[in-house]
Amino acid sequence: MGGKRSPARLVVALSVAGVLAIFLVYTALAGGGTPSLKPSQLAGHTGRVSLVGKVVGSVTGQSHSAAGMRFRVQDIGGKSAVPVVYHGSVPDLFRTGRDVVVDGRLRHGSFVAVPGTLVTKCPSKYTPKG
Amino acid sequence: MAPLGRAALLVAFGCLIYAALAGGYAAARRRRRLALSARNALLAAFGATAVAAAVLVAALLRHDFTFAYVAEHTSAQLPARYRVSALWGGQEGSLLFWLLVLTGYSSIAVLAARRAGQDLLAWVVPILGTIGAFFAFLVVAIASPFHTQTAPPDGLGLTPSLQNPYMLIHPPLLYLGYVGLSIPFAFAMATLLARRGDEMWIVVTRRWTLVAWTFLGVGQLLGAHWAYVEVGWGGYYAWDPVENAALMPWLAATAFLHSVMIQEKRGMLKVWNMLLVVLAFCLAIFGDFLTRSGVINSIHSFAQGKVGPWLLGFICAVTAASLALVFARLPLLRARTRLESLVSREATFLYNNLLLVALCLTILWGVAFPLLSEAVRGQTVTIARPYYDFFLRVFGLPLLLLMGIGPLVAWRRASLRALGNAFLGPALLAVATGVVLIALGAGSSRPGLIAYSFSVFVLASIALEFARGTRARRSLAGGSWPAAFGSLVARNRRRYGGYVVHAAVVLLAIGIAGSSAYQTVRERRLQPGQSMNVAGYTLAFQGTTEGQSSNARELRTHLLLSRGGHTLGSIAPGKNYYPAERSSSNEVAIRHNFLTLEDVYVIADQIDAKSGAVYFKVLVKPLVNLIWLAGAVFVLGSLITLWPDAREERRLAARYRAEGALVRV
Repeated sequence: MGGKRSPARLVVALSVAGVLAIFLVYTALAGGGTPSLKPSQLAGHTGRVSLVGKVVGSVTGQSHSAAGMRFRVQDIGGKSAVPVVYHGSVPDLFRTGRDVVVDGRLRHGSFVAVPGTLVTKCPSKYTPKG
Repeated sequence: MAPLGRAALLVAFGCLIYAALAGGYAAARRRRRLALSARNALLAAFGATAVAAAVLVAALLRHDFTFAYVAEHTSAQLPARYRVSALWGGQEGSLLFWLLVLTGYSSIAVLAARRAGQDLLAWVVPILGTIGAFFAFLVVAIASPFHTQTAPPDGLGLTPSLQNPYMLIHPPLLYLGYVGLSIPFAFAMATLLARRGDEMWIVVTRRWTLVAWTFLGVGQLLGAHWAYVEVGWGGYYAWDPVENAALMPWLAATAFLHSVMIQEKRGMLKVWNMLLVVLAFCLAIFGDFLTRSGVINSIHSFAQGKVGPWLLGFICAVTAASLALVFARLPLLRARTRLESLVSREATFLYNNLLLVALCLTILWGVAFPLLSEAVRGQTVTIARPYYDFFLRVFGLPLLLLMGIGPLVAWRRASLRALGNAFLGPALLAVATGVVLIALGAGSSRPGLIAYSFSVFVLASIALEFARGTRARRSLAGGSWPAAFGSLVARNRRRYGGYVVHAAVVLLAIGIAGSSAYQTVRERRLQPGQSMNVAGYTLAFQGTTEGQSSNARELRTHLLLSRGGHTLGSIAPGKNYYPAERSSSNEVAIRHNFLTLEDVYVIADQIDAKSGAVYFKVLVKPLVNLIWLAGAVFVLGSLITLWPDAREERRLAARYRAEGALVRV
């Protein structure tokens, strides 16, 4: 290591180390992501998860009332479904038949959503009604 | 008509294969006439692709539902402009559009870049031919837009949320950006294949990179604006994989645009630049893969098809081949000079590059993690907003600061005393701003406060640069201040255009910090006659009206907006119900304040027809309009740097003639 060595290497090495350190700190403090699950995979998960599926059956209740809005979410292309209780704002495109993502926890067999986390997939392709 | 389209695509495919094979042979064996014919095949491929695209557009316009593509993406009632936009609306059409842009760009590039030298151009043709042949193969064999069927009575149409003027401009701008990154990539690889170690490829493709980068940047801002005014959730960027798909190549291209200046000026970072151009190109293809493969859970769901594995395979092949080539040519890529000091202009560029690439790769990790997690642990995991916000702060804020430091640091080696003098003014101003902002209550968000202070520092250092330059110009050439200013910018378009782009990034940072860190959100259920207060504004709910348009029932709630006793006017957020599509849409109301650049954004979230009560969500977003203003400044800055400069061209040409003898062994 003579004095003639370009400091560029040192900078690159230090910054790579720095980035890794930041990454470690982040994962240690904030944890990774939220597991993203289909209704059929929910059993056994008690922590916060993102539920992905298709809205089936009828949608009842008001999302801004105390009792909340209730609907069922089914595996996309599958059969298992789970009842969902939701509070907060509802996206435009939400309705029966749409694919949605919503965060929450499984409580006594029904999925209690975190208010305001309901997202419908933006359908950039038109699919026939049904 | 469909057979004509299919035939045109086959011709294009054949021409591109010829350009790749014959061009490669001609370049390796130095056959000039064969190289010329390969180049002409590339031009012919553009012509053939244009014919195919014209056939498809004609079919779209004529409601020719015997084309499966036309029936799947348009309907009889769809207005003509959205029928044209269906060209990039679906998978097959968008690939054809990609090929059209690619062959078009390639033709212009090989015709315009003659000064690059025969040996370099001879290799550019087969590389562009290979990329083009891959996409031509996709539209010929995997996802043809020319499949025919017995015509159904009507087509499926375009989803109502996409029948929007942004649909006409946002996707094509992104495509123009993505595809544009192929040109610098092709010239870089051609340089290696031609065993050259010089900077000619950078000089020739500088404008190409800038054009692609500008299109990508503007395309993304337009997408953000679309989300903000139309989608109606009160935000403009959600860190969705499909949004990140465009951000990643833009960040890589930003790093590249900066680091090539080091190579041009000091002959350093040659390997790094090669790697960056490969990264930017692969990320552009990866962007197409993300939007079209459907493997990643996104709130955007695009038409999906069988091209995903092909695109992924292509990315892997390009990465492997390019890295092997760079490795094989490492001796040619030795730096002419070394970094002399950690406090120099070069060093700040290096820091800027490392931060940009780190930000780009953390986003890539966030996008790819769900896939990896599923492959390794069998469980999909979504990486949510906090992850991206954290890394945007960790890497973005230092980047912002560097934009202010860079221009004030001398090349090669800067003395600390000179640095102190240069920084004193901007730094004092930034600290003073911070103190004033804390006194005003902006201390509530530390990242916001830091972003504001850094922004002031950068703006001050940019203003200082313009002032110094103008003063120097005036003492040199005389004349008035405005004349000196004009001649300063005209004589140094790259430098001062670059500063204007920096100013745009600062405006963007202030807009993002203001509208996210300092926004106020209130939700309340109001009966007619009741009112609510949000961040100094009062909204009095007066009642709901109902109207009918051609295809929707339109409910509008009327609110009187006032501030400090002054009535500002009436706003009417509401909902539209589309009976035919069985869907509804939030029609948000936005009140802009052009003096403070603040928005009052009102969503009528739930309208209870029986009781007349409405559940309102109100967002007050300070400075959010700076984001859109930043877009305009960004375009202005890019145009200044792009504007042809005959003086610069002569200077560069002379330099490369002088160096040419040395480098091209």
